[in-house]
Amino acid sequence: MKKYELLEHTADIRVRMTGKDLKGLFKNSALAMFDIIAQRKLSKTDKQEKIIIEQKADNLDELFINWLNELLSLSSAKELIFSEFQIKKLDENNLEAVAMGENEKKYKVNTEIKAATYHGLKLEKIRSGWQAEVIFDV
Amino acid sequence: MSNNIQVPLEKIDDYRWRIPRSYKPGMRVPGIIYADEKLLKDIRQDKAAEQVANVAFLPGIVNASLAMPDIHWGYGFCIGGVAATDPENGGVISPGGVGFDINCGVRMLKTNFQYEEIKDKIKTLVYALFSDVPSGLGSKGDIRVNEREEREILVKGAKWAVEKGFGTHEDLECTEEYGAIPGADPSAVSERAYERGKAQSGTLGSGNHFLEIQVIDQLYDRDLCDEFGLTLGQITIMIHSGSRGLGYQVCDDYTRSMIHCLQKYNINVPDRQLACAPVNSQEGKAYLGAMKCAANYAWANRQCLMYLTRKVFEKIFALPWQKMGMDLIYDVAHNIAKIEKHLVNGKEKTLCIHRKGATRAFGPGHPDLPQRYKKTGQPVIIPGDMGRNSYLLVGTEKAMEETFGSTCHGAGRLKSRTAATKSINADDLLKELESKGIIVRASGRGTIAEEAPQAYKDVNEVVDVVHNAGISKRVCRTRPLGVIKG
Repeated sequence: MKKYELLEHTADIRVRMTGKDLKGLFKNSALAMFDIIAQRKLSKTDKQEKIIIEQKADNLDELFINWLNELLSLSSAKELIFSEFQIKKLDENNLEAVAMGENEKKYKVNTEIKAATYHGLKLEKIRSGWQAEVIFDV
Repeated sequence: MSNNIQVPLEKIDDYRWRIPRSYKPGMRVPGIIYADEKLLKDIRQDKAAEQVANVAFLPGIVNASLAMPDIHWGYGFCIGGVAATDPENGGVISPGGVGFDINCGVRMLKTNFQYEEIKDKIKTLVYALFSDVPSGLGSKGDIRVNEREEREILVKGAKWAVEKGFGTHEDLECTEEYGAIPGADPSAVSERAYERGKAQSGTLGSGNHFLEIQVIDQLYDRDLCDEFGLTLGQITIMIHSGSRGLGYQVCDDYTRSMIHCLQKYNINVPDRQLACAPVNSQEGKAYLGAMKCAANYAWANRQCLMYLTRKVFEKIFALPWQKMGMDLIYDVAHNIAKIEKHLVNGKEKTLCIHRKGATRAFGPGHPDLPQRYKKTGQPVIIPGDMGRNSYLLVGTEKAMEETFGSTCHGAGRLKSRTAATKSINADDLLKELESKGIIVRASGRGTIAEEAPQAYKDVNEVVDVVHNAGISKRVCRTRPLGVIKG
């Protein structure tokens, strides 16, 4: 089951993501983002690259945007598509995570996401966990 | 979505609508939207007008928060926005007022060919261009550079490409800022941005970026067409691209740092994507130095793309490009911030002009224009969607008076990408375009549906407004024959 849905926006992509807790939300949001970007065309190998990501921010909104933008940036610089994420530590201001991915040649790339933006950003606790709405510049 | 009904839009004249300062406490100036009644209906459909009002919060903003008729909902700034701030009066610079794709822009070149002469070669040309000009997401070019060279590109811009043999001095003369904006500071660009930029010079990118073979199908001003050497049925080429990953990273880096500036400089804006800092602050200066690097990278990039295009024509026609008259008409940036001199209430001021989805449109005689365009005014290139038209305009004196020498930048989106993908079948669309004589090659099928003509406003209506409002003047119109999409 997809853990995200696409919402209307004239120029860009607006997405709602959920998770059963905050860690789940961060993980699912990263999965959603790369699901929008690319589709696997060659089967997975053992040659996964593992990247440790540490982020600090003044608040949760910033941490969330920094996390997604750091992944986009790494993906582009290292020519990787990420498909697995482990959120090791997460509070309002700190994130420690591991992202695993493979060379982008193993994927069919559909959409270039330039960045995650603050415009209309909503992170909230809901009954079943956490939910975020974010606009990606494409 | 009718979120916008509540934004008051007062009619100034047939082509201008005002959002009064009283709409939101915190607006320092009114908002002014250029549109006619018909386009205004579309504008009311999304949150663009609200964003025009939000931009009016920026410290030091001068006269008005302006929007062009191709305005649509963006993030932070609307797309199609122009904002001038006065650094002497606490004026700020905002990375969100430029966008992630710094110096996304477009260039137009002409050829000596008439449509009748090459109509049977269009398909061959499109396929050759598609194979020789790297396009698509994260596409990597053949023109790979090392870090030392990359630093050089960031300072020299298109001049770097010309020195490498990828063009001529005349190309630089026909590029905004002569292809390199002075004051670029490579030390303000992060390691990551370098890393992202290294492999992508000479690549088109994806999404709405394109390379098109076009034919002139309408002349509006005979004298101007004569000046530019343009006739009915003549083949032209348009290239739309930007600064790729390097620009995105610069915007991301400085949005991060400027969010902290809001508190530091006690700035109140209703949207964090409008994060900004005083132009004269250390943070503002650093961003400007880095943004100029990305802008120069984009100019080098479009110069390389033009070189690759000329090469393809040379291969197909076995003639040097000079013999085919493939001269650059002009290259404009439509996502950029510039330090420019303008008259405010009769006094000359040095201002920071943000153009986000807007094009510089300097009038005749402007000192920044090259000699060849002093008489005509600055050429302005307006790309449309792949099924309809594109335009060549010139800047006017009225643009200098009303819009800080700015005009629209394209058709402007009407439908979201998701809505377009849902309602449009890529195969049907390709057939329909082919029946109209338009050959399309794209890296992804998704791109074709997302970029369908139905997803855009009619560029003809947008250009009618800027022409009738007097902020630019129509020279000629083209229609597409061959389209290469990223």
